[in-house]
Amino acid sequence: MSTSRFINKCEYALFRHRGFVILAFIAMTLFLLFKASQIKLDAAFTKNIPLKHEYMQTYLKHAKDFGGANNILISVCDASGNIFNPQFFDTFKKIHDQVYYMPGVDRVLVKSLFSPSTRFVEVVEDGFAGGPVIPADFAADANGLAIVKQNVDKAGIVGRMVADDYSCAMVTAQLQEINPDTNEKLDTIAFANQLENDVRGQFENEQISVHIIGFAKMVGDVANGAKGVLAFFAVAIAITAVMVYLFSKSVTLTILPIACSLIAVIWQMGLLTVLGFGIDPMSILVPFLVFAIGVSHGVQMINATGKNVAAGLDAKTAAQASFRHLMIPGGVALLSDTVGFITLLIIEIGVIRELAITASLGVGVIILTNLFLLPVLMSYVRFKPSYVEAVSAPTPKADKFWRALSACAEPKVAAVILVISAVLFAGGYYQSKQLKIGDLQPGASSLHEDSRYNQDTFLITDRYAISVDYINVMVETDANGCTFHPIMDKIDQFQWRMENVPGVQSAVSLPSVSKTINAAFNEGNVKWRILPRTTESLVQSSSRVETSTGLLNGDCSVMPVILFLNDHKAETIEKVIAEAKKVGAELGTDTTKFMLASGPVGVMAATNEAVADAQDPMTWYVYIAVILLCLISFRSIRATIAVILPLYLVTVLATALMTLLGIGLTVSTLPVIALGVGIGVDYGIYILTNMTQPLRDGMPLREAYYNALKSTGSAVLFTAITLAIGVSTWVFSALKFQVDMGILLTFMFIVNMLGAVFVLPALAAFFWRKNR
Amino acid sequence: MMSKILSRLGLCCVLMPAAVMAQTSSPQAAYQLPRAVHSVLTDIVPVGTKFWMAAGERGHILQSLDGQVWQQMPVPLQSNLNSIYFTDETHGWAVGHDASILYSGDGGASWQIQQYLPELDKPLFDIYFKDPQHGIAVGAYGMFYRTSDAGKTWVNEFHLELASEDDQQLLAELKETDPEGFAAEMSSVLPHFNRLYADGTTLYLVGEAGFFAKSQDFGLTWQRQAEFYNGSLFGITRTKALSLIAVGLRGHVFRSTDQGLSWQQITVPSPSTLNSVINDEQGRVYLLGNAGTLLFSDDDGQTFAAMNQQDGKAILNAVVIADQLVLATETGIKTIQLKESKAL
Repeated sequence: MSTSRFINKCEYALFRHRGFVILAFIAMTLFLLFKASQIKLDAAFTKNIPLKHEYMQTYLKHAKDFGGANNILISVCDASGNIFNPQFFDTFKKIHDQVYYMPGVDRVLVKSLFSPSTRFVEVVEDGFAGGPVIPADFAADANGLAIVKQNVDKAGIVGRMVADDYSCAMVTAQLQEINPDTNEKLDTIAFANQLENDVRGQFENEQISVHIIGFAKMVGDVANGAKGVLAFFAVAIAITAVMVYLFSKSVTLTILPIACSLIAVIWQMGLLTVLGFGIDPMSILVPFLVFAIGVSHGVQMINATGKNVAAGLDAKTAAQASFRHLMIPGGVALLSDTVGFITLLIIEIGVIRELAITASLGVGVIILTNLFLLPVLMSYVRFKPSYVEAVSAPTPKADKFWRALSACAEPKVAAVILVISAVLFAGGYYQSKQLKIGDLQPGASSLHEDSRYNQDTFLITDRYAISVDYINVMVETDANGCTFHPIMDKIDQFQWRMENVPGVQSAVSLPSVSKTINAAFNEGNVKWRILPRTTESLVQSSSRVETSTGLLNGDCSVMPVILFLNDHKAETIEKVIAEAKKVGAELGTDTTKFMLASGPVGVMAATNEAVADAQDPMTWYVYIAVILLCLISFRSIRATIAVILPLYLVTVLATALMTLLGIGLTVSTLPVIALGVGIGVDYGIYILTNMTQPLRDGMPLREAYYNALKSTGSAVLFTAITLAIGVSTWVFSALKFQVDMGILLTFMFIVNMLGAVFVLPALAAFFWRKNR
Repeated sequence: MMSKILSRLGLCCVLMPAAVMAQTSSPQAAYQLPRAVHSVLTDIVPVGTKFWMAAGERGHILQSLDGQVWQQMPVPLQSNLNSIYFTDETHGWAVGHDASILYSGDGGASWQIQQYLPELDKPLFDIYFKDPQHGIAVGAYGMFYRTSDAGKTWVNEFHLELASEDDQQLLAELKETDPEGFAAEMSSVLPHFNRLYADGTTLYLVGEAGFFAKSQDFGLTWQRQAEFYNGSLFGITRTKALSLIAVGLRGHVFRSTDQGLSWQQITVPSPSTLNSVINDEQGRVYLLGNAGTLLFSDDDGQTFAAMNQQDGKAILNAVVIADQLVLATETGIKTIQLKESKAL
């Protein structure tokens, strides 16, 4: 058989040159450790965007004129509830200037009371009067502040630049992905730190509070929370070590698998740096998963070796035998994981692709560290006679347990298990259809609701009429479109119809502003709030709107309709997008097109759609990969089905669990499905590999299953419990998404194990009817 | 920005496709949407004692049977409406931009277009019928229409006597020397007519730049009165105590106790433009204006106190329904409990 010849060759190469193998691993590890030490947290707005999505094509096309969706809002609030006092204005001016000069900020688009583009107009008997809201000769005294207050009211910026109740004022800025002077990429996390230190740190005190929201700040807060992830890793490693010791009853056998798994993590991080990647805060959990999967396979290895030693083999022969024995199941399981992660590459979102690379690299490396290096290292272990005695001692209790468990392979028990599974599947399947795409809660779903960031989000949505949850529908038309009444009227109709869509809080566009200006030209008479039909009058009102308002481009051939939403829940976005498409198609013509979409929610909509589109193909690809690998290794269709069905049951149940926990399918939770399959397939493969040959030889099923449990069952059970305990500590994390992941992974580890131990033999009872 | 667009104007008008122009003459029905009740509303009136009607932007006409729940009525156009008037519980009219005149013969349930002239690009601001047959509609640039057949036909009228004396002279000269110039001047010489108000047999008309005129023969002939203010007047009413109160730009309020011959300016505590003036059964006078301005007087308009609305939204008109003041504002219908606010 060619496979066994291949294994022979590997075995020969590895164990003949053990010293050399170890030296090579040490050298490589040292090199990659050095590289890994240089790894950086790397977050960029564009990485979170499905750049090829049609919405994002529109977004990119107009990003030059209208800025991007990567903005920050800084709301500065006065504890007294009234901003009109000298101290506040003094501080607020400093904050405005601080933000203005921060590298990465597009200075033209920094807006607040202090920006010169913030102006007011008022109607007087003989026409218009107007000027900057904060006059050139502004002095922060009672008189000066009273004037500013009046101007604020006249300028109509309450709700946008000033809170509805005058307790806060806002600085808004847009970030440039690439610094136009230096051509350097924006370091989002450094920028977020700067916001925290130079703006909030410097200016917040008992009197003045600073509330910052926007993508950059969110990522910065996630990155800060991610530092805590290290502590969780340490805890998980410690728990794992204790558990492995209890399992192996040997310090050496505890250190070896954990060390090999850590080497895998080092290699993974080092390789990422070598390949020029950083680690995204959203992928921060992947190294731990690599460690977990590594331990899972390492435990199988020490378990097998221990059993071989107990059978009387010397360390080297025992290790060699384990290698031979586990090369195929371990290799297949790890390859399945790797392929599972690689399938994530089909999603055209930068962070997910990076996750695919990070994770598949990590799992691929485990093949080297835990299937090759670990047995080689084990071959040097000197097993004390006491250890040999301990492991070779009869284990009547365990045997009894395995004997009882093997009843699952009895047709009657199996039937019960299968019925229960079928019910679970049906219920889970029904529930899993409720899975929502995107964020289900307001605020940033990666962070806890009581986190500073989300509290700031709530404060801003509460006190202002606007938020960062807006979507720009780009109206593309001919040059000077804003001078034609039919075009402006269409946009106005579109806006009105969208304002009537549930979830849309308010909207603004060039026509809506022009109408107000037209009224202002007519003595402020609300009855003149119309779009004049004659071009001369239309020009009069629309030409007063500057391009810096973001409502038109230079020749007004593009005019966005900005829709402010109540929140960015997936449901809200979906409804608004669907309606915008419908109304846009109804009102649009060949020359006036309503194009979706820009703005933060436009980006979310595209991401949600990309994620939704990717969900099914990704699941299919993962399963096809796993099925193919199982077919190759088992050369048996029924064995493959026996492994895959429980796995699919768990996938469905995990999806159902997500809906029950209110976790939406997002960029950060999408990989969970692939992860679940990757983790789960291990158990099934290890158990079934031990059964296929005896079954072919005609051994009764229950007997074969009992033997498999005896040789590998304890390792499977143990791994599942150990890893579950490790990840369950994540519920204490400062990051909401780590908490979510912790719950889901704990569920996956445990339920996959249950699937492999109960459902797999039950299926086998029906597939191998002759083996009774 | 302005010059940029202006410089391209010459080009744009040539490029403007004829089909696009043609579209404007076939009106599109108003959208029936839930937020109509929160849209810009310009007028609100009681109809007999049975129901209330309100009108506003985008061809919105709303009806309420209790003053609380408002329902949008189907309207065959989208022009902004500025005024609505019912002679009885059956016959009603609404006027607005595009010189639109709408008619309802079924108590506001359905509306037909009697006039729609978008090419004029001028709004009608007010409409009044002395009976279901005879009515007058007035609007911007001295626009004046009359009907004697319930609006089946509307006839444009030009009242030279409503122009200022200087303008009347100028027009007289032009008529002799320059017929073309005369036509051009005619269409722009008159001020905006903002409000028609009937009191018994007297018809009052107020408008732009202090314009104030009276007619005793239902608008066939007018007497323009001397200006007592150089800014625009938007509303006028006669109080229970028979004084006239006129309101206008930037918080200007005037009171006359001699049928408008002489006027006295009343100082009010708000500087915003006032859009309408109304009275209730008890003789209390309310002034409604921009920036949430809501003033009231319990001494026949000699002094006013403020109960301004915190939201700062423009109030265009109002009606008193039981204990409530129901406002037509730029953000739709708004109801104020009067019992409470009187206590203030």
